[in-house]
Amino acid sequence: MPSIDKAIEDITGVRSDLEAALDPAEPDGVYRDSRECAALALLSADTKLLLSPPTPRPKKG
Amino acid sequence: MEQSGTSALLQGAVQDLASDVVSALRGGDHVRMSGTGAMDDLEGSFALAAVRVLGADLLLPHVLFPTPPAPEALAVFRRTVEAFPPRADAAPTVKWSHWAMSRTLMRLDTSPVDTSPVDTSPVGAPAGNPTAEPDVAGWLDEATWQVLTHQLAVLAPLAVLGEDCAVARAAQRRPVDVARGFVRAVRRRDWQQAAGAGRWLTLLDGVPETLGLEAGLDFVELMGGSDPRVALQVQAARVMRAAGALV
Repeated sequence: MPSIDKAIEDITGVRSDLEAALDPAEPDGVYRDSRECAALALLSADTKLLLSPPTPRPKKG
Repeated sequence: MEQSGTSALLQGAVQDLASDVVSALRGGDHVRMSGTGAMDDLEGSFALAAVRVLGADLLLPHVLFPTPPAPEALAVFRRTVEAFPPRADAAPTVKWSHWAMSRTLMRLDTSPVDTSPVDTSPVGAPAGNPTAEPDVAGWLDEATWQVLTHQLAVLAPLAVLGEDCAVARAAQRRPVDVARGFVRAVRRRDWQQAAGAGRWLTLLDGVPETLGLEAGLDFVELMGGSDPRVALQVQAARVMRAAGALV
């Protein structure tokens, strides 16, 4: 009865996925890129958050 | 990380339901509950599992506004509570999320009690006392601020205006730690955790003003709002703030 076996396997899979979803491990962190920093700067224009560009350096020569 | 076929299907079903909840939170409408029509086959088991994952938040619009849920929605919710009782050795988040569903069911289920002599338990009540909190003590008090924030974000459905339980009290004792966790989650681009932590912070006293929670939640929505589970937490925070929460 392959179809019944498949159904049991699928439902067992649902159960194990459910348990993982209800007690998830913390995912690995991914850090912001410049596009997100720009969006944050726009959003925080009227708040106390300060994002500044890199300090200018004198050109050589 | 590669997902199993069932995992991808389950997550898709959860996201569909979360979208329905977000729509209801924005428009004050009933939760439509996509995909829960056929409950007697494998698709039905996915649908019930998806309801279990979304948990008490499925009926959040009816708790916050408050309006009675559609009878079909309540029936699916009740069936889910009964179908997935936590095991004795389940993780605290599993026990607490099930408790939150039972509590919501008790709050919203106003249908007549079954008067048959066989079943005298309250309608929708799982075995035992559904209002008794899980026997899990101290796990959040002993957690680092990173773990605390992660666990609270998983249990974001418990962050409801006026709700009093051990998890809410543990969060209330550590507002600065939750604020630190919120910032960490944003920096890690973990939008779901950030949104859940932000929802808790909306309810807590003593959150540092320098956190900029309101702008932070806007940012989380901008960056992660395409995920309906993130949008749900942000929208829940906004509704509770409008209803008189602290931020």
